[in-house]
Amino acid sequence: MDLGYLFFLSSGLFLGWSLGANDASNVFGTAVGSKMLKFSTAAIVAAIFVVFGAVSGGAGTSRTLDSLGSVNALAGAFMVALSAALAVYLILRVGISVSTSQAIVGAIVGWNIYAGKTTDMETLAQICATWIFCPLISGTIAICLYFFLKKLLKYSRLHLLMQDQLTRVGLLLTTAIGAYALGANNIANVVGVFIESCPFKPLHFGSILTLDTTQVLFLIGSLAVGVGILTYSQKAISTVGKNLMKMSPMVALIVVLSHSAVLLLFASVSLHNWLINHSLPALPLVPVSSTQAVIGAILGIGIIKGGRGINWNIVGKIVIGWVTAPILAMGICFISLFFLANVFNQTVYLP
Amino acid sequence: MFDIKLSIFSGTRILEQKIDEMHDKVMESSLFFKEAFEIYMREKRSANYRRSSKKIKNLESEADTLRRDIESQLYIQNLIPDLRADVLQMVENLDKVINEFDEVAHKFYIERPVIPPEFKEKFHILVDQVCECAENMSICSRAFFRDFATVRDYSRKVYFLEHESDKTWAALKQDVFDSDLELAHKIQLSGLIGEVADIADRAEDCIDAVLIFTIKRDI
Repeated sequence: MDLGYLFFLSSGLFLGWSLGANDASNVFGTAVGSKMLKFSTAAIVAAIFVVFGAVSGGAGTSRTLDSLGSVNALAGAFMVALSAALAVYLILRVGISVSTSQAIVGAIVGWNIYAGKTTDMETLAQICATWIFCPLISGTIAICLYFFLKKLLKYSRLHLLMQDQLTRVGLLLTTAIGAYALGANNIANVVGVFIESCPFKPLHFGSILTLDTTQVLFLIGSLAVGVGILTYSQKAISTVGKNLMKMSPMVALIVVLSHSAVLLLFASVSLHNWLINHSLPALPLVPVSSTQAVIGAILGIGIIKGGRGINWNIVGKIVIGWVTAPILAMGICFISLFFLANVFNQTVYLP
Repeated sequence: MFDIKLSIFSGTRILEQKIDEMHDKVMESSLFFKEAFEIYMREKRSANYRRSSKKIKNLESEADTLRRDIESQLYIQNLIPDLRADVLQMVENLDKVINEFDEVAHKFYIERPVIPPEFKEKFHILVDQVCECAENMSICSRAFFRDFATVRDYSRKVYFLEHESDKTWAALKQDVFDSDLELAHKIQLSGLIGEVADIADRAEDCIDAVLIFTIKRDI
């Protein structure tokens, strides 16, 4: 295989690592923050399932990103991914949980501007709409789950200790589901821009399983996400798991479930087709921000509890991160493409 | 599959039983205290009374062992991290009520107070009130673990009974000091009446804590 390709892919892997470091906190940050799961257990489960999700269900959302801006040169794809990764990393260093989806969208728009391509405004509008709808849907699901579980607990009369154990098992399961959903929905952010220039051959695991070229790319990208989860996700957990709002383990379970449901809604091709076949309005297959899904769920529950206990300062910082991420990624991408093309004489786009 | 299920939850089930047993001990110590008091009123410090107060002593020491066991198991199994401190405090509070029953029963045994017939009825009423108060406290505390929607109902009952026992205590103390007994005898009876009434106060303290923990337990 061409080593040059691997070099360029490294920026995607760096973005994958950033996504793992940042977004894993959305999947199990609440569970670890409420001390229900050990970090090591949650991180290993999440790392495994994020790979499953990416390889088996990552195709749907990557098409949407492709229609936003089809990055057609390897060096350009390198810089798009690197800019998004740098934007995420820089904001994460300040201790703010940030959206990788927004960063990659900002970077692709930056590439479109530099390359003089027209940004598909319909797709961009669709993606931007999910930045509003994603936390709203997540918050609504969380509120419904909150009332349902509250009633269930009242009538089931489970012993506190048994309830605690079941919540723990539930949190472990939702960590797996959440990581699967994260992999399926967000892998397009990580390596989606490299699909066009992908040189991999299909991978055969005997006669049981065959991964096509895109799936091999997703596998490599998701392994980087897994490494990010295992090595650097503890910092972001301190924001989502503890500081935003003090959460009971049951609320932590609701938050992760709502987050997973939203990510799967926006990533599942089967669900998308089923809704269309039944003449129902289908949600677009868009990489949504898992950070926004979690924050939406936490705020939903916080608000129906009367808004008590929400740390609005941190909410403000997170919202600033949401606005900053795409703009910062777009700026970094635009400037870096200029240097890459003019200083290093790389082809960053094909006319 | 079944084995795995058992191994995950069996430790929890054993601990659940131990917490239930702790509540049972409060109930039993209340019943034995009532029984011991009846015997004392009839027979003073007899062999029967000794046996009865010994039962309370045994309960008290079993409750101590249970409390230590529950405390260590909660940490070993890393259960309810958010409510662990609260549950430990509740178990300690239950133990303190049992200790209080034991101390009062022992005090009757050591001091052998003479209770004049004119005070017997009010003494009975006071003992019944504090015992009922402790029993309801135990039901309320148990409800915290399984059916915390009813905690509030039982807590109202405990507050009511504690208030009633306070009134009985005040009236009885007044009667004692208005009587023609020797001052030393008055002081001895007054001290005993105070100690009996303290059981209800202790139960009320438990309920204050349980109510706060219930608010925290709400998801």
